[in-house]
Amino acid sequence: MILTIETIDLQKHPRFIDQMFCMRAEVFADRLGWEVSVVDGRETDRFDDEGPLYLLSVSEETGALQGAVRLLPTTGPYMLRDVFSVLVPGGAPESPLIWESSRFTINPHVFSVAECAKANHIVHRTTLELLFGIVEVCQKAGVDQIVSVFDARMARIFRACDCAYEVIGTPTRIGKTMTYAGLFEMTDTMRARLGAVGKLPSSVLADPSWKAEEG
Amino acid sequence: MDITGNAELFVTLSEVAAAASGGALKNAISALAIRHGVRSAAYLGTRISDMVPEEPYIAVAYSSDWIEHYKRRGYFEIDPVIRIGMRRLLPLDWEQFGEPEGMLKTFFREASEFGLGHRGLTIPVHGRSGDHALFTITSDLPEREWKQKKLEYMRDFQLLAVHLHDKILELHGRPVTRANLSPRELECLQWVSDGKTAWECSVILGLPEHTVRCYLESARYKLNASSNTHAVSIAHRTGLFSPVL
Repeated sequence: MILTIETIDLQKHPRFIDQMFCMRAEVFADRLGWEVSVVDGRETDRFDDEGPLYLLSVSEETGALQGAVRLLPTTGPYMLRDVFSVLVPGGAPESPLIWESSRFTINPHVFSVAECAKANHIVHRTTLELLFGIVEVCQKAGVDQIVSVFDARMARIFRACDCAYEVIGTPTRIGKTMTYAGLFEMTDTMRARLGAVGKLPSSVLADPSWKAEEG
Repeated sequence: MDITGNAELFVTLSEVAAAASGGALKNAISALAIRHGVRSAAYLGTRISDMVPEEPYIAVAYSSDWIEHYKRRGYFEIDPVIRIGMRRLLPLDWEQFGEPEGMLKTFFREASEFGLGHRGLTIPVHGRSGDHALFTITSDLPEREWKQKKLEYMRDFQLLAVHLHDKILELHGRPVTRANLSPRELECLQWVSDGKTAWECSVILGLPEHTVRCYLESARYKLNASSNTHAVSIAHRTGLFSPVL
């Protein structure tokens, strides 16, 4: 199930939000070795101050945070144009109908609480649920396209999920990995494909009144 | 949808683009409310002026009586549209407020007495330099029609809201400089100027059609154009096209 959390509602989900920043530190700093800023075991950047929308994948069974992603409109500050402009030497896209997704994370803790086969299943399903959630949120808001910066590792994950994208600009080696900018169409076709691969229900968004038992 | 979808939006965006003063813009907002069949339309922006950054800029399609009343009652403090809308990304359907209670009940009752519709949709705008704005329409459509119209409103008015916002910044002496067109965006636009559809562009350039649409959407936005045709004429006028394709 996907929780969509606006900046104004951050304090309604303090535990999940804190867990999300911890999870980002573990994934991006510890596992992937990216040069991100970690304070007190939590990774944040300046785009977290721009009022982004967070999508969190929460297990309906256990209430555990399984993954997260961040969305920003391309009319305001966003990563591809303001940080990774090297990927789009001709200029980055901008429109109120094109948003950016970033900080896509799957909680590495699923591997410590479940046996390997089950954990792999959770990872796969969470990935699809987050991708499907992005499409669903965008379709509700009239957003046509998602642009995203990702590495070769994510590209493989997208392929495994049958999540089609179109590379724009010039893929570039940044640090150790090849980095891409890609476009994802927020259409019924995309939605149907992700839904079929992940065997997902027709909607994954949590009821707005849903309240986690936090604490 | 080579134009952004409908002729009404095209006319509205053109009128907003042509407005050369606050008064002309107010007229454009009044006209758009009628054209799009909504009860009211209002724009509210923050950090518009460098001189008085804390003073919000307001442009509305309805009588100033409601604004006067609103200010007198200090409704800025309680108005959920502003309190919530300014810290959101997604369009806000007023249904999400639920049944209003106490002060808010009075607030919404008075709003409808002053001619606002009982349904509302608020679109947040996020600018490049921390400037934020809200564009709000209200409506009295019955539930079923509202549900149908809402999707169209959300798309059209997100585009309109950004155009309005940029126009208001421009009228305040802070014209928005948008990014240059990327080679791909220019290439697609050039084929469009040659009479090709998005699908034809996609075949010519070997790109998926949705990618071509994305390039065109971004090109229209960067050129502040209300349609592909408009974008092409701006590109011609400003010498963006190379002489030989």
